Amino acid sequence: MIITGFQGESEGAKVSVTGGFSPGSGQNGVSKAFIARDAADFLLPGLPPHGHLEASGRGVLLLADGSRHEGDLFGAAKIAEGELVFTTNMTGYQESLTDPSFAGQVLTFTWPLLGNYGIAPGISESSGVWPRGVVCRELMMEPDHRHCIGTVHDLLLAHGVPCISGIDTRAVTRRVREYGVILSIFGPIEKEAEMAAILENMDSPDLADLADEVSRDDAVFLNEGAIDTDGNPLPRVAALDCGIKYNILRELCTRFEVLWCPPDIAWSDLKSIYNIDALFASNGPGDPAHPGKATAARHTLAQATKEGVPVMGICLGHQLMGLASGLRTYKLRYGHRGGNQPVLDLQTQKVSITSQNHGFAVEDPVKGMLAPHPSGANSGEVKNLTGCDVEVRFVNANDRTVEGLDVKGRPAFTIQYHPEACPGPHDANPLFDRFAELIETHLEVKANAKTR
Amino acid sequence: MPRRDDIQKVMILGSGPIRIGQAAEFDFSGSQACRALRSDGYEVVLVNSNPATIQNDPEMADRIYIEPLLPDVVKRILEIEKPDALLAGMGGQTALNIASNLAHSGALAELGVELIGCNLRSIDEAEDRDLFNQVCEEIDLPISEAMACNSIEEVLAAADELGQYPILIRPAFTLGGLGGGTAWNTGQLVEIASQGILHSQIGQVLVEESILGWQEFEYEVMRDANDNCTIVCTMENIDPMGIHTGESVVVAPAQTLSDRDHQGLRDAALRLIRRLDIKGGCNVQFTVNQDTGEFRVIEVNPRVSRSSALASKATGYPIARMAALIAVGYTLDELPNPITGEGTTAAFEPTLDYVVVKIPRWPFDKFRTADRTLGTSMKSTGEVMAIGRNFEEAFLKAIASLEYGQPHPRPLTLADASDGESMDERAHEPLPKETLDHWLKVATDRRMGALVEAFRRGMGIEEVREGTGGITRWFLHRFKRIADVEAEIVAADCDANQITETQMRFWKGLGFTDAHIADAISGFPASGWNRLPAGRTEIDVMTRRHELAIHPLFRMVDSCAAEFAAVTPYYYATYEGGGAPLGVDHVPAEKKADCRRLVVIGSGPIRIGQGIEFDYGAVHAVQAIREAGHEAILVNNNPETVSTDFDTSDRLYFEPLTTECIAEILLREGADGILLQFGGQTAINLALPLDDRMPHLSEFGLECSMLGTSPDAVDEASDRERFEAFGKRSIIRLPNGRTGKTPDAIRAAVAEIGYPVLVRPSYVLGGRGMEILTDDAQLETYMADAYIAPDKPLLVDEYLGGAIELDVDAVCDGDDVLVGAVMEHLEEAGIHSGDSTCFIPTQNVSEEILAKVHEWTKAIGIGLNIRGCFNIQFCICRDELYVLEVNPRGSRTFPFVAKATGIPLARIAAHITIGEQLANMEIPRRQTDVVCVKAPVFPFLKLRGLDPAPGPEMKSTGEVMGSHVNAAAAYLKARLATELPVPTRGGVYLTVKDEDKGNLIPMARSLQEMGFNLHATQGTARHLRDVGGIEVETCYRIAEGQSPDALDLMRTGKIHLIINTPRNSGGAVLDGNMMRRLAVELNIPFVTTMSGARMECQAIAVAQEGMPEPRRLVVDYI
Repeated sequence: MIITGFQGESEGAKVSVTGGFSPGSGQNGVSKAFIARDAADFLLPGLPPHGHLEASGRGVLLLADGSRHEGDLFGAAKIAEGELVFTTNMTGYQESLTDPSFAGQVLTFTWPLLGNYGIAPGISESSGVWPRGVVCRELMMEPDHRHCIGTVHDLLLAHGVPCISGIDTRAVTRRVREYGVILSIFGPIEKEAEMAAILENMDSPDLADLADEVSRDDAVFLNEGAIDTDGNPLPRVAALDCGIKYNILRELCTRFEVLWCPPDIAWSDLKSIYNIDALFASNGPGDPAHPGKATAARHTLAQATKEGVPVMGICLGHQLMGLASGLRTYKLRYGHRGGNQPVLDLQTQKVSITSQNHGFAVEDPVKGMLAPHPSGANSGEVKNLTGCDVEVRFVNANDRTVEGLDVKGRPAFTIQYHPEACPGPHDANPLFDRFAELIETHLEVKANAKTR
Repeated sequence: MPRRDDIQKVMILGSGPIRIGQAAEFDFSGSQACRALRSDGYEVVLVNSNPATIQNDPEMADRIYIEPLLPDVVKRILEIEKPDALLAGMGGQTALNIASNLAHSGALAELGVELIGCNLRSIDEAEDRDLFNQVCEEIDLPISEAMACNSIEEVLAAADELGQYPILIRPAFTLGGLGGGTAWNTGQLVEIASQGILHSQIGQVLVEESILGWQEFEYEVMRDANDNCTIVCTMENIDPMGIHTGESVVVAPAQTLSDRDHQGLRDAALRLIRRLDIKGGCNVQFTVNQDTGEFRVIEVNPRVSRSSALASKATGYPIARMAALIAVGYTLDELPNPITGEGTTAAFEPTLDYVVVKIPRWPFDKFRTADRTLGTSMKSTGEVMAIGRNFEEAFLKAIASLEYGQPHPRPLTLADASDGESMDERAHEPLPKETLDHWLKVATDRRMGALVEAFRRGMGIEEVREGTGGITRWFLHRFKRIADVEAEIVAADCDANQITETQMRFWKGLGFTDAHIADAISGFPASGWNRLPAGRTEIDVMTRRHELAIHPLFRMVDSCAAEFAAVTPYYYATYEGGGAPLGVDHVPAEKKADCRRLVVIGSGPIRIGQGIEFDYGAVHAVQAIREAGHEAILVNNNPETVSTDFDTSDRLYFEPLTTECIAEILLREGADGILLQFGGQTAINLALPLDDRMPHLSEFGLECSMLGTSPDAVDEASDRERFEAFGKRSIIRLPNGRTGKTPDAIRAAVAEIGYPVLVRPSYVLGGRGMEILTDDAQLETYMADAYIAPDKPLLVDEYLGGAIELDVDAVCDGDDVLVGAVMEHLEEAGIHSGDSTCFIPTQNVSEEILAKVHEWTKAIGIGLNIRGCFNIQFCICRDELYVLEVNPRGSRTFPFVAKATGIPLARIAAHITIGEQLANMEIPRRQTDVVCVKAPVFPFLKLRGLDPAPGPEMKSTGEVMGSHVNAAAAYLKARLATELPVPTRGGVYLTVKDEDKGNLIPMARSLQEMGFNLHATQGTARHLRDVGGIEVETCYRIAEGQSPDALDLMRTGKIHLIINTPRNSGGAVLDGNMMRRLAVELNIPFVTTMSGARMECQAIAVAQEGMPEPRRLVVDYI
């Protein structure tokens, strides 16, 4: 038996040695599967040169609290600026680097050795590398793994992302823990003064429409015509891409016929043109209350919920559901980023160890905004768009922040964490089955109503 | 699910004596369990035969039994105590086997005792290979193709089926993989498998496909009754499959698994623990083919283990404590996370931001003749762990912690090949390439040094990978980096004061110690790392480093990579960018008035001659310091121990016990004092080097005194010449002794004293290199072999034959002496005191001599100006008392004395050390109503090539205790506790040297009267028949090569006890060695002294009457 991640998984989730992202290929009933690019494709032979300059020499990382940290530069020769966050995952750096939720951020790895097993083809979470910069203790230049096609340095360079190594990441992490996520900049040490000036006037990346930056512009079917083992067509699910991770799409494709669509696709189009059975709202970067595409997605989500269409949301999708239900969202002190976050199911009292990556949260209807950022940033009062009440189903076992909502009286639920894992544990994977069951029941009810 | 209130009283089983495969880790887990359950209101009954543990200290449990860990004994204690539940998962395989036995026999059901933590079915399914394979198949997990066999015929059939060698043989139900191995041909297969069948509790071995060269991983898993599961830690072995994980260099967390690999194995581990329905902690081992990603489940330990102790120390997550609480009903989310405190729970997975390296500690430096090859059964006695921010730093720190006399890897020379003893002239010649290749190929304790050497000599990654049978390239790159940077330091070839800041930071950041840098800039001279040219010494490098203001940062082991503000006072040092206070996890708070900050030095890895008793000493010292209202800071590097539990001390530093590391800790803490006498020879050996360092440290304003006995007094007690001078001034009498530093001086000394003589190097541990010599030829052989260093003289003493040896443990405050106990050795003087069986109170010593012992002890304590504990070895020869040796430190018998007499000497000594006086202390009442016996436990079964007979060099790994009002019954209990049977019928084989033949007659007679058949060789038989009139069956001497000889009788099951006093010459040496070796393998008890044999006979007489009642430990110090 080969270690391939999930046991009993579909073909789609397996490592592809040829690169690319095409979860529908090889699936029953799919004649033409959609193929997208995998971020690691750039390390495979045959692609045009990326044209980025390679960084070298000493660099310095400046934080908004006034601290400076010297290190060595790797990746692309560029100045990195953004909000500094940290992830505590010890494995899964390729998945994190390619996770669109990190857009706008400078990502620090608390695990000190970055790149032990290199970069593998076909396992990225998107076609790009999203953090604006990477901070690490030590970049490993001699990776060792059977799937390795290059180093982290190679991947970052190909995508034009700078990296600073040799940083005391624990010291940086402690600052973030104490002050909350903070603005930062790093680049060549010769440009320190220039960078200090930029940092002085830097805007929060939350102000940008990050969901727009990282998402699709058109709707495509990933596995059109997919059927189950009995030959029945799979339910059709629209996945609103606010920065969706590939593994969510892989998971969805094993259960549904998936329409991968932009965040601002119109609800009426989804209903009338695409004739979908259910709606999924993805993860994504930035402030859920941003007036841009996130808000467009919020309205679509609200509409679907209101009409009783099955809905599942993950991460940003969950926050959008919170907003649509009249709950405020707010910025967390330093967020949850890692693969060891315990989530308590208030119904079963069971704990799942989950993969998380979020800087915002939905307020608790009773306890309010737990573990907030010192800036106090939040969405302000919002209108309930669904007409339904929600129930807090999951909470973080550590800080008790809201981790999941069930919409009362509707086949809809959302979760703050990542059941698709990648990186991180698979404990929450059955939530995709829960979605499938909701859809199945919904479709049965609908069919019965029709025959009656 | 909340706490179970239907249980009030819980029995916890310990793991018995320290031995290879079961060391201090179970004292750690058992202690955590006792504390956790007691503080939660449960009544705890503890059974453990090992007196040296913390877990059977009076304050640890409500009721303590220091009794043999045998099913019948435990059953009897269950009848007496009537607990509601039995927690067996804390005492290793020993406890699990007993629980399994009592459950299967129906005893638990009959007594209404519930097995908690792990049910019988879980144990069976995890331990019985057949059942386990079925389980894995059922949940679709791959196992290596394997067949359970109950006979040699089945083994051969299984081998046919597998079709190709090598074949792996693993016995079911044993500890430390005993009896397992890899066979390359049918001969080896039969040999290994027959041993395996013999040693398996259920007479079963598993014959499997060989997966040599695959990677090995371990997952530490927790699960509660509500089915919540977490992975506490992953570990990766550097050594590929084929080496027992206890013998492997282990790295945490796993380094070379991708997230997908890791999550796949995580899923598999969780599926297993769920299917086995284990509630608590367990350990799952996997092997992975790195080229294909194929994996196999190797095994599951349904209990806490050595690996879980390592995982606890590596992550800070207290596995055993949580497992104990889960066993009584708690769920993980109900238990607060003790590391991160408020707001977090035990239901999480630790994440690390450092690398942990564990290296086993092997006894081959002591046992030069033992086979060093590592395989599927364990040979190491202990282990060290080190933490760093990268692999290189952690690895080099671990090497520095091992204490083989060389704190860092040096270029290998012929001296390294001389079986553990370095020889100066050979140090000039590099190790031949063939030898190096062999060291890479065959795993031994030398392999890690060979890896660095291979890269030092420019070998390539693939070449080394090939040569080592598949060590993962990632690790090889790390070793190569160490070699490359070392070459860079050698090339710098400059005085210490010319090292640049960039160089220094870089080198220190990769874990190079000051000594290593000093050695490298000096070009690794053949004269050794501690004799370097001026300007390039360790102190010079330190001075330069301090000039550059480069000090380590102290990082907290917080289990969460700094995500939460943790409260654990558990630190490691690392050198990396950023100066204080940036990135410093801990800035000691202002000292409170009258509160001193005192540093206790632990004893490092468990090894022969320095075992768990010194961890006991360190823990007691910490307790005394805290009792007195001061802050106790502990430094140690042994992950198995109670001392390195993060809440034992006020602050724990997990660091190598080297002058450099300790000096930096003293500086960081601004320590007021340091206690060295509780950490065995390791700590004592630091006294002088630290003393040398103090003037340098005082430049930073450090005012730290060495508490307790001064280094000078330590030297006076340890230095032969100075001690003899003291003896002349004092009332005491010493045996005639001389010292010699050169061969000629030694010959002269021997000539003056006359044979037989006892020789040994000074300043040694556990009697290493100590021998009794009877003629010139032996002397020459010894000198050719021994390590004679100019500054370390060889001691030559008159050998006092037939003497009674006494051990005294005492404390002295400068004015007054408190004698803990006078112990009488069963064996005559000449057998190392650590290997002797001893009695409290003495059995054959006159009141007059005892009075003298007390008087001399006082004279020595006060005369040498001892402050704290000390130990004296006396002997009585022809009614004269002699002082053999004074050890100005805690001895290995301190815990035994505390448990036998109720006087906690170590703690009293610690109080003295920090300035209190005996006169002002409340000394507990002395227990005098019983006889207590301490008996040694030997590693002969695990270490081939070692003569299984006690002698002047210490060989035992651990000890047990028995107590009873009757001395013979107490001895019987101690003997049974060693887990060798005490026969009550059957055959006895007698073979003694001529001078013992007279004494043999009454013994033979009583054995015959007790119903034993006697067997002997011609000489002994004739003597017994002619002189004693005793009928004896005659057999051939082994050397005669005819049947039946002793070996035949043993193999055919006719012998149940051997009385053999070894002769020192001729074929008898070999005969005796072969016979004892076979006895070890067949588990037949043998005694090698007449006094031992007499006691054995008395014990048999008691045993024939039935097992003496268990006795509860009653002492009243708390």
